[in-house]
Amino acid sequence: MAMEAIRTERLSKRYGGRRGLDGLDLEVRTGEVFGYLGPNGAGKTTTIRLLLDLIRPTAGSARVLGVDPRAGGVSLRGRIGYLPGDFVVDGRQTGRELLTFLGNLRGGVPRRRIESLAASLDLDLDVRIGRLSRGNRQKVGLVQAFMHSPELLVLDEPSSGLDPLVQQRFLSLVREARAAGQTVFMSSHVLSEVQQSADRVGIIRDGRLVAVEAVERLRERAPRRVEIVFDAPVPSSAFADLPNVRAAEVEGTVLRCLLVGPADPLVKAAARFTTLGLTAGEPDLEELFLTYYDREEGGHAA
Amino acid sequence: MLRSVLGKSLWDQRRLLVAWATGVAAVTAIYASFYPSARQSAAQSVRNLPPAFRQAFNVTQMSSPAGYLEATVFTFIVPLLVLLFVAVVGARAIAGDEEAGTLDLLLAHPVSRAQVIGQRFGALVVSTAAVGAAVLIALLVVAGPGELDIPAANLAAMSLHLVLLGVCFGALALAIGAATGRRALVYGGTAAAGPLAYFGNTLAPQLEAVPWLQRLSPFAYYGGGHPLRQGLQLGDAGLLVAAALVLVGLGAVAFTRRDVAV
Repeated sequence: MAMEAIRTERLSKRYGGRRGLDGLDLEVRTGEVFGYLGPNGAGKTTTIRLLLDLIRPTAGSARVLGVDPRAGGVSLRGRIGYLPGDFVVDGRQTGRELLTFLGNLRGGVPRRRIESLAASLDLDLDVRIGRLSRGNRQKVGLVQAFMHSPELLVLDEPSSGLDPLVQQRFLSLVREARAAGQTVFMSSHVLSEVQQSADRVGIIRDGRLVAVEAVERLRERAPRRVEIVFDAPVPSSAFADLPNVRAAEVEGTVLRCLLVGPADPLVKAAARFTTLGLTAGEPDLEELFLTYYDREEGGHAA
Repeated sequence: MLRSVLGKSLWDQRRLLVAWATGVAAVTAIYASFYPSARQSAAQSVRNLPPAFRQAFNVTQMSSPAGYLEATVFTFIVPLLVLLFVAVVGARAIAGDEEAGTLDLLLAHPVSRAQVIGQRFGALVVSTAAVGAAVLIALLVVAGPGELDIPAANLAAMSLHLVLLGVCFGALALAIGAATGRRALVYGGTAAAGPLAYFGNTLAPQLEAVPWLQRLSPFAYYGGGHPLRQGLQLGDAGLLVAAALVLVGLGAVAFTRRDVAV
């Protein structure tokens, strides 16, 4: 078995004159959950459709489960489960009809497996898909991707449209898959969607991979908005030029800033005054993209 | 029905199929049942038509049962309906799914693109055959009361030729859709090819410069051998089948090579 579930070398795709993907070098290890992050239009879906041989690269190559997607053909796709980014199917059929058909294409999936997956996502299989809400339709898509327990799951924006409770159930499906030795490659434009389940995260921007990080490191590095309220006005000079603190602004008794690393210097500086309140926002992915993006641009300029 | 792409395609278009088969059969039955009254007036009115018109719409032999059926049912209206039907089915087969965004999911499963197009073509053949069977049933039902004294075997042969004509144009629609992924091009292509082939067949004999034109038209192999009077024309039928297979083969090659649109 190949060490990497997915490996691409200088994989590129142009659509006419427009660049979709520009020399992507990506490695997804067998058995890991890999989050593929980037803003809309960055090339996530292009990458995924190249891996499934729905489109062909302009340059470079890809190996999925050790074989070229085009050469692998039918037998390779039998080992993959795929959730399209925009899961649309003929709405006049029920979920059961569709899943039975798709299961048969895969050589038959036990009825009980489909039913237990549907039950775990709280999905009614006997309603016409056209009548389902967007979130419930997405559940049909998840069931068809997971139902045959493939070696590799390729999920394009899997949790879009799911309410938080179902999102948790989806994450437990991902954890089960990982525990069973399956590899999961999932894209998202929101860090919080993948940070709970992914081992590593790759960040793509404008068709290029700008970073691959373990999720823990990424969270440490992602900027957070911090607001501290003091009992009396504080001098802004006290918070200027602190390590890991950016864009510090003092307005009377309130300090607002971006924290981009360990909080210790900021906390020590604040401790010299009497603090009444402290709030820290969730790591801001959009800010994170910008930090990676800025670094890239800076690197090119230097 | 949910076991294969072919079965699923048939299942998905069951309503369309029932509606078209019923409609085409009804049109056939209505025209066919007018024969007794038409026979009286036909001889008179045909003489009043310009010769070129008579040739173009095949209305020369209205007074025999076979001539009447050829002129009314099988020359224009029923082939037209069958062509519209196969254009719709052929356009849906690949291009329709692609434009709707549902093709990605199917192609990400363990089926090859050649299998998908082959099985969709199979579904088109079965559907067209069902429409042809409905036409035949309508004729058999009306034949007695309508004084249409034509052997059942010849009615069956004519219906089969109709099915093969439909399959041929359906293959064209499927191939255009497979090669381009765009329904507008499928409809444009078949809308151009249909009349071109029709008038190529009927008017070519008058254009002495291009006698070969007629031989390019599928309509020549559909009605040229007069299956209603002469029975099954094996050579013509074989050519229609061969043309359909070549078109589907070309479509499969183009489909396998190109990118699938999002």
